[in-house]
Amino acid sequence: MYSNIILPTRWSRFTCFCRSLSSIEGQKLPQSSKSSDGISPPPRIQRGPTDILQALASTVGPDPTAAHYKYHDDPYLIPLSNYRKRAYALSAEAGRKAAAWIRDEHAELFTTREWDPPGKTKTPYFNADPKIDAFTPRPIYNDESTVTEEDLKHTIQNALLEDSVKVFQLLGGIDGVADYNLKLSFLQLLCFYNEKEPDSMEWLEERWFSANTRDRHAATWKLGGLADKIFASLEQKTSEAYCTIIQGMAKHYQAKRAHMLCQEAIEQGIPLSTSTFNGLLGCIGFLKEGTSLRVEALKQLLAQMEEQGLTPNEETLTSCLRSISAWGGGKILQQLAQQIIIEFRKLGIQPGLSAYYYLLCLYCKERGPRIDILSIILTDLEKREKLIPQDVTDTNFFITAMGVCSDHLQNINLAERLHALLMKGDNYKLVGDAYKESIYYRHFVTVACRHASFERTTQLLDTLVPNVYVPEPTVMEEIIKTLEVAGAGDRLAQAWSQLVVFGIANRTKLVERLLQAMCNCYEYQSDDIKAKIRNAASDIIKYGQLTDEEIQNANKQDRRSPQQKLSADAMANIVALCSDVKEKSEPDWDTVSEALNRLKRNEAAGVPSKPQVLADMAQTAASMGKLGIAATALKYLAECGFEEAMPASVQTLGVILNRPQQDVETMLQQRGDLERTLHPSALAVLDAYYLAKSGGTSRDAASSTSSESDNESSTSDDE
Amino acid sequence: MNSSLVKLAQVHSYCKVTKLYNQIRIFTYLFSNLLLFQNCLTSKPPLVQWASIAASQIHTSAPMCRVVSGKYRITKKRDRPLTYEMANPPHYIAHRKSWNSWNTSSLKDGLRRSETALEDEFIRRFMTGTWHGLTCSEIIVKRQFNHIRVAAIVRRAVSPTKMYFLLGYTEELLSNWLQCPVTLELQTVDSFKDVVFKYI
Repeated sequence: MYSNIILPTRWSRFTCFCRSLSSIEGQKLPQSSKSSDGISPPPRIQRGPTDILQALASTVGPDPTAAHYKYHDDPYLIPLSNYRKRAYALSAEAGRKAAAWIRDEHAELFTTREWDPPGKTKTPYFNADPKIDAFTPRPIYNDESTVTEEDLKHTIQNALLEDSVKVFQLLGGIDGVADYNLKLSFLQLLCFYNEKEPDSMEWLEERWFSANTRDRHAATWKLGGLADKIFASLEQKTSEAYCTIIQGMAKHYQAKRAHMLCQEAIEQGIPLSTSTFNGLLGCIGFLKEGTSLRVEALKQLLAQMEEQGLTPNEETLTSCLRSISAWGGGKILQQLAQQIIIEFRKLGIQPGLSAYYYLLCLYCKERGPRIDILSIILTDLEKREKLIPQDVTDTNFFITAMGVCSDHLQNINLAERLHALLMKGDNYKLVGDAYKESIYYRHFVTVACRHASFERTTQLLDTLVPNVYVPEPTVMEEIIKTLEVAGAGDRLAQAWSQLVVFGIANRTKLVERLLQAMCNCYEYQSDDIKAKIRNAASDIIKYGQLTDEEIQNANKQDRRSPQQKLSADAMANIVALCSDVKEKSEPDWDTVSEALNRLKRNEAAGVPSKPQVLADMAQTAASMGKLGIAATALKYLAECGFEEAMPASVQTLGVILNRPQQDVETMLQQRGDLERTLHPSALAVLDAYYLAKSGGTSRDAASSTSSESDNESSTSDDE
Repeated sequence: MNSSLVKLAQVHSYCKVTKLYNQIRIFTYLFSNLLLFQNCLTSKPPLVQWASIAASQIHTSAPMCRVVSGKYRITKKRDRPLTYEMANPPHYIAHRKSWNSWNTSSLKDGLRRSETALEDEFIRRFMTGTWHGLTCSEIIVKRQFNHIRVAAIVRRAVSPTKMYFLLGYTEELLSNWLQCPVTLELQTVDSFKDVVFKYI
């Protein structure tokens, strides 16, 4: 179909080649050490296609004030909570997958060859440049496809495991493929992935958010699978074939067979590679039981390596330490690890991040003694110019080290050093995935809250939250504690809106903790901050109301998540915060009465532990003419049987009547007189007094009187 | 209310397209007539003719000088909503508003002229169809190297999650179709009213 355009394509290639030749020639001149006029330009440095882009990118640091660039830069589309971050990124990827599905499903429609379309031979036509393979439809292999060995090569090169197995079967299986090298590379593919389709590299977000897919440390090798069959069918088993199958088995913890094959190969005099021995070293734990036997086997294997004349490399060290750290803790293993590291140092092999990760696992046990090896490790790593990732477990280092800083050593200085190391250069890619990143920051923020200065903590929080990291409820509690200790009322008021934005405002315990913190540092705040705190408190109660309504609506559909009630203490805290106003007309009084109503209707869990707060509030309310609120509070106290009810009602009456306390008490002896002279709403206070006096915890009497006082209080409020 | 406005806007954009189309048809009709006429006069092959006419830049549409394309007629009730882009007639391009397609194909020795125009139209239709009833503005197509950036203003009528799905879908499908990276640069507004500049 495209035969008629081969010539122009070739021609353009030829011109391109000519151009490149001429440019090379042009560049050759300066390379001669000295020219006649004494000017010697530096020799040409070969640049890759993305070098300029990388140089440009290195001029811009990370911007913590903006959302990650995978999110769309629009206020409506920027996620602010963990849930949203995950949901948005994954939905974008779902859309991408939908498009890819359409492309593959209707591959016949996506055959436009933009880079060299047919029928464009007559006019000079400039093809889209460069041709991007990722945008071309994938071949789909099914039972009807006719395939060649080229297809098998292609699928193997692109690590399309299931496709390659299909093609292999279509080619006639083990007997069908004659090419030894092709068979070997197919065997390598099978061994590496254990005949399981790997997660596609294309779906980055899925990999990033696939929380905690820790590979199981169990013998997952498929016994008698295709790999085994292919290996058995190889008539001439070379060293490469042995290395492949042994490494595959060792990687998937089929230790016994791997060791058997290893012995077989050694007996036959087939040389094995260093990586094969590395794999074997990594799975000793599956071969032997008991520490002493395992240590012996480890030493034996290392000796065997020496016999074979193999030099160990960094990976050897890593797999030794991996084995040792998996066998538990204890002095013996720690010493062994130390010995091994020293010996490798002598050989000039520096431990990598994975080795250090295993070392941390070995030394810093949760309940073990505090051993500070992290500072030594950090000093070593800081000296290195660049941390080069070599192993998948490299990404475990930073999270584990930060965990050690936070739980084991509780040292903020080390944490800061570690964070500086992570932020240095290109190291941030070693943070792992979303799950590891969030744990890393959880540890970091926790240790900062507990041990860093307040200024440093707030600075850290301002840079990290919310774009880099959104605190989980436990971390938020830690933050609230820190803010409370420092007395930062402004930030506490902000913390409430953060709770709402982060989607954790329905965590009752957290909200209660926040209210308590607000109450504790309310007194010594300036007036405008006090107002902010009051606003936050009234917001908290309104937020509850809103969800109540929603629940009533939602109840018809499903009643899966019963809303937890705020405790009575929280209500008392709200009352205490919001009653601190100077004016009768302040809207905060509505919040107070709402809180009291909830207390009265038993909508708050438990009873307040500090009833004095309510008693004090009653007096303030009475002094401002909010008699209804005062009466409700006193009545509630009396109904609950608090002994503060009686003196409080006497004092409140004193405030209402503007008389000293003794006078009120004498007046209270003659009930009738007072009832005649008093304002109806003040009568409710009187009721509360008598209720408290009679020790009226009987609910019947209380409810009957309270309903009366309800009416009265409501009328008085209207006045 | 909103949906009706959007519908109105869409109808108007269709009107605009048909107007443009008519204009082009008339233009080509005149042009071909002229060609025929010249062919009668001389015996040169037609292709040379074509080239000479293109070079001489005769404004063949002069008799139809009443410019109607890209302009909107005032309604009786003065209730036709116009965005800023619609409110400014074409002669304000580069003065008050800018182009809807950004590329270098129309420069001297520009590449892929017709392909670019066609692809841009395809992108516009794909966007309005995929973001159905959501696009509130013209779709701006900007090309840089082999990278196409598509900008638009959309309504916040669907949840952000759905928007992200559409974003990913549009980007991936367009880049597979056009064989080059495509990036969407969207802005969101609360309702179509937010982009209405005036009513005529």
